[in-house]
Amino acid sequence: MVNPKMPTDPAEPPYASTDSVLHLFAAEVWDHLWPWSHHGFQRQRALHAASIALALAASVVWVLAAMGQMQAGALIGWWFGWSVFEVVVRLGSKPYVKDGPWWGRRYRVANTMDMVCYVGFKNLLIGATLFIVLKSSGFLIVQG
Amino acid sequence: MNYLAALRNTLLSVVLSSTAALALANTYEAKLPDEINTAPELCKYAPCTEVLPGATSFSERKGQPPYVEAYAEEGGKKKLVGYVMLSTDITDTPAYSGKPVITLIGMDTGGRFVGVKILKHSEPILLLGIPESSLVRFNQQYLNKFVGDNIEIGQSRPEENIIGLDAISGATVTVIAQNQVMMTSGTSVARQVGILKPTIREQAKFVDSGIKPDWASLVKEGAVKRIVVTPEQVGLPRGGEPFIDLWFGYLNQPDIGRAVLGDGPYNSLMSGLKEGEHALFVIRSGGAQSFKGSGFVRGGIYDRVQVRQGADSFTFRDTDAFNLYGVAAPGAPAFNESAIFIVRSKAFSAAYPWKFVFLGNRVDRATGARSFANFDTEYWLPAQYLQGGRPEVVKPDAPWVRVWKTRAVEIALFAALLIAVATVYAFRDKLTRRATHKNKWPVNVFKYGAWIISIGFVGFGMLAQPSITQVLTWFHALLFQWTWELFLSDPFIFLFWIFIIVTVFVWGRGLFCGWLCPFGSLSELLYKVGGAVGLKRFQFQLPRRWHNRLKWVKYGVFFGLLAVSFFSMGLAEKLAEVEPFKTTFLVGLFNRSWPYTLFAAGLLGLSIFTERPFCKYLCPLGASLAMPSTFRWFGLKRKQECSSCKACAVGCGSQAIDENGRIDHRECLHCLDCMVLYTDDHACPPLAQERKRRTKAGLALTPIGADGYFIPIQPVPARADAAAMKNSIKN
Repeated sequence: MVNPKMPTDPAEPPYASTDSVLHLFAAEVWDHLWPWSHHGFQRQRALHAASIALALAASVVWVLAAMGQMQAGALIGWWFGWSVFEVVVRLGSKPYVKDGPWWGRRYRVANTMDMVCYVGFKNLLIGATLFIVLKSSGFLIVQG
Repeated sequence: MNYLAALRNTLLSVVLSSTAALALANTYEAKLPDEINTAPELCKYAPCTEVLPGATSFSERKGQPPYVEAYAEEGGKKKLVGYVMLSTDITDTPAYSGKPVITLIGMDTGGRFVGVKILKHSEPILLLGIPESSLVRFNQQYLNKFVGDNIEIGQSRPEENIIGLDAISGATVTVIAQNQVMMTSGTSVARQVGILKPTIREQAKFVDSGIKPDWASLVKEGAVKRIVVTPEQVGLPRGGEPFIDLWFGYLNQPDIGRAVLGDGPYNSLMSGLKEGEHALFVIRSGGAQSFKGSGFVRGGIYDRVQVRQGADSFTFRDTDAFNLYGVAAPGAPAFNESAIFIVRSKAFSAAYPWKFVFLGNRVDRATGARSFANFDTEYWLPAQYLQGGRPEVVKPDAPWVRVWKTRAVEIALFAALLIAVATVYAFRDKLTRRATHKNKWPVNVFKYGAWIISIGFVGFGMLAQPSITQVLTWFHALLFQWTWELFLSDPFIFLFWIFIIVTVFVWGRGLFCGWLCPFGSLSELLYKVGGAVGLKRFQFQLPRRWHNRLKWVKYGVFFGLLAVSFFSMGLAEKLAEVEPFKTTFLVGLFNRSWPYTLFAAGLLGLSIFTERPFCKYLCPLGASLAMPSTFRWFGLKRKQECSSCKACAVGCGSQAIDENGRIDHRECLHCLDCMVLYTDDHACPPLAQERKRRTKAGLALTPIGADGYFIPIQPVPARADAAAMKNSIKN
């Protein structure tokens, strides 16, 4: 039976039932930063392998930016490209998002738009933070 | 054929009108020659004759900050007729886009502005929304005004000697920045050439305690200050070494002077100074750049350092500089360049704060273009070195503070509106319980009130319609130059965005979009009025399958604008005309070319027949807010029965409830109709059923609980009943 109290069906990530708040927090941080899962890798080996390669490339781009050898436009392009791929990877490996208060423990199955919103918002925050840090410390070249 | 011809003519007119509007915006991101920023002959690259009518020849750049002298031929002789200045030579004040409006300014020898020409701007609002001619007209207000006048944006206040300039509706931040540029540039040159007299300040009286502090103490007290400029601040690659690392301090004060120079050199220096002359030392302890300048020539001025006090600038000629061979204070850093500079002016007083300025050029690493940049550190002699301590200094308010002060009442009313709407919504449960399916006024009185205030006061009155262009502008400002002061200069938009960001995360976008967006409110109000005046039979909703397809269009528009903005902010700003906000509120339906008016009027006209078509299917701002609404903290309530019952879904104006009774919080506009039903025991089918059952069985109708059901009747256990009875008998 459909549960109309949630926008999609409830989901339960492996760590959801832990009693330790610290463990939950650490697991959620890990979830935000690591889009892959063992289960997802078993199902979509080629996709996940490609995504790891792309993630490495995107990381190299950030390192190049930190070394002052990357222009802002290129960095944004890479980050955007990786974000699109991350949506696909997560839908196969960690297809859930949190519902309701961020400090709560309600999770639900993510549809494509949910995942686009989640990855878009998360990567916007990560990207903006790194971008501002690199720019304010003078590493990043911004075309005027 | 006639229809085809008419269609072709219509399309042609649309294209031509659009092109005409674009053609007007000819200084938007105009390509200027690189030499305009650096070449000694400014007027070879800039149209100086246009801002100084009558001038036939111009000098090279001179002075610090630079300006050029304009001459006219009179009786075969050259006569000085005025001065021309390039705003970016003098100030790097950014406008709303985060980039400066590059302005060429002409001033006659009497200090009156005689010409102003915008050479380049990056203001999105002036691209299409407001014609660029508005900025030209704004600038014309300066003509024949004296540079020493108090000129401000807003109404004139003769009792305070303030001359007011008419702002450009919808571009307040731009004109505030432009006024700052005009006045800073004008006064800076007027003071250099003697049009404006320097401010005479009371001279400092020093305490002579005989104590000789060491270097660390001098630094700690603020008697010695430091300026560090890093390579990245001037657009160079980051390196381990600073671009320049300078220490400086004021030497006339006996304790400081003796500590820095030693007794002999101090006495010698002071004996050479006349009344009103002030000595300060500068040493370079890091960096390879010379603060004296590599191109310094005898008889010239030092163009890399300057002292500023209030609006007065003090530059140094070669005769104002002396060698400094050593610093006596123990613990002083090693240095490889040094000098003692003399300020020769009674306008300077060590009793008041002043700034030591390092003047530099910022190189754009991507384009190689240079732009003016200065770096300064404030210095104010510590109180213990001044007889009677530091005098009281009243600093003038920053422009954004003046805006907040002059519009304090409107700002307070607006803030009160935002707080009131948020508070009402926070207590929505109490309102929806008072309302019924047939009488929604307990909710609607607040919602309709918010709409009317939003349309009249916020939209047409304060012109505070949030827009996707602001999101794109922030993105641009983040990339180039984020200046809080500029965003604070438009207090209504600033407060509105704080409200939007907070409420989107707490409740979702519906509170802004559904209750307070001026265009959204106008749109739905038209729909309600249309229904009330007998057009209900013509009103319709799109079939669900079409709604479910078309609702994605707005996300496409948003992502399209975002993608285009990566490549061209200008083009993105043009395409953002998909929002009819500028036409409706900022410029006015009848003040724009007809395609824009037709578009906005068409959307509003369509709104009479179908609820919020723009909000549901086109609005990029709504889409950008819908995405984070996925993660709102508190959503609307549902019951398990909602999965099969369609009562709420049928009445949902924003079509946000799907066939399973689930609410799509990205689409929900918080009309609260479903929440009214949630507790209405005559309209919500499970509640109505239970009400009927209880009435038939003669059971009490208990209040409806937070879960949306009647609070269950719990029979008191018989044993407990008996015990209670016993107790009551005993007592």
